Amino acid sequence: MSTHRIQVLVNGEMHDVEVPARRMLSDFLRDDLHLTGTKRGCETGVCGACSVLLDGDVVKSCLSLAIQAHGKSIITVEGLAWNGEMHPIQESFVECGGLQCGYCTPGIMMAACAILAENDAPTPEEVREGLSGNLCRCTGYVQIVESILNAGEKMRGD
Amino acid sequence: MRDFDFLVPGTVPEACRMLADLGDDCRIMAGGTALMLVMRQRMLAASKIISAASLQDLYGIEFHPSHGLRIGAMTRHADIARSPTVQRHYPMLADMARQVANPQVRNQGTIGGNICYGDPSTDPPGCLIALNAEVVLQGLQGRRALSMQDFLVDFFVTALEPDEIVIEIRIPPPHGNDEGRYTRFRRTAAEHRPLISVSLMAQREGSVCHDARLVVGASVPVPRRLARVEDFMRGRVVTPEVAHEAADMVATDIPAISDARGSEAYRRAMARVVTRRTISSLFDLEIL
Repeated sequence: MSTHRIQVLVNGEMHDVEVPARRMLSDFLRDDLHLTGTKRGCETGVCGACSVLLDGDVVKSCLSLAIQAHGKSIITVEGLAWNGEMHPIQESFVECGGLQCGYCTPGIMMAACAILAENDAPTPEEVREGLSGNLCRCTGYVQIVESILNAGEKMRGD
Repeated sequence: MRDFDFLVPGTVPEACRMLADLGDDCRIMAGGTALMLVMRQRMLAASKIISAASLQDLYGIEFHPSHGLRIGAMTRHADIARSPTVQRHYPMLADMARQVANPQVRNQGTIGGNICYGDPSTDPPGCLIALNAEVVLQGLQGRRALSMQDFLVDFFVTALEPDEIVIEIRIPPPHGNDEGRYTRFRRTAAEHRPLISVSLMAQREGSVCHDARLVVGASVPVPRRLARVEDFMRGRVVTPEVAHEAADMVATDIPAISDARGSEAYRRAMARVVTRRTISSLFDLEIL
């Protein structure tokens, strides 16, 4: 079946590769680029563990084909840290204990990026709304929400 | 997911030609959120996928005071929700779009893909009917426009011919006194799809309702206007009692479905509640 040449910028690095039409974006990131921070959870668009930023918008990479990302920029959880320094969102998850098993965390952090990019001073309600596409089965979301509010404070420089 | 070929037409006529030649073996992909889901679950096995992403005619949101709104079929739910034009002239549409599914799906799923799928448990179709929207289709024979209500034939069935694709959605210009409300109800906050939705567009002067279009979606096989309720509201001073009576009519008149997500009785009961809330909100009544 058909294969396609795609150019995608992943975490700032250009990849020019041939992929089969059916390759999901999540599989492309994990199996082809070995960026295993992005998780495969439900693989049916429910859990959000596979969330990545596509041209700045959070999307589910288990519902996207790799070829749909052609010509676009992707940020995965591996792209959050900069020069060995954690991103404020990552720092806040550590400080506020915003995770337990950690499986949903990469997807939640990418959703958090989108929430704070749109509004760096969200209300708890807005954070919860922004997380409505992500499931966490360990926590009760309380510390996840706190982590994101805390990250917002850091990013505003309060 | 089974293997498939991915085809990228350069123009709409080229896409229609592909659809006509390939028949049932192919599917059009817009954002892909619904298509990938059914293909991954092997509910559908298409050997050819035709991408609509490359078709420039299918993009953009434009407003003209005398022609109304044009929304390209490839417009994502998030784009509609964020559009200052939509927010200003059709606030009910923007309010609906910001509630579809979840942020990830709104960033990828499109309005055109949504209506072509014909899934009853979704937000846009009912709201678009209440806005008197038209769907513009293009096939090998040219273009035609259908009302949203005629486009949606039944549960997962649309009026699209095999060689046709949806180009855009058009909404007539708003009336000065138009006011709309879109209300959706979910059983739990974790659900992404509404159990029931009520869309109400009214020409209102204070508490008088000069005209109303009321549509129930998600709990019926296909959203439809409810003529008896609209007639009842027309010309009336809308009081809490009127809202009550209209809500009772809605609960009686809808062809409610019954499935794992909600029994018929539950859906009728919630139709009553959601209608009452919608009317109360639009006419500034205390919710009873």
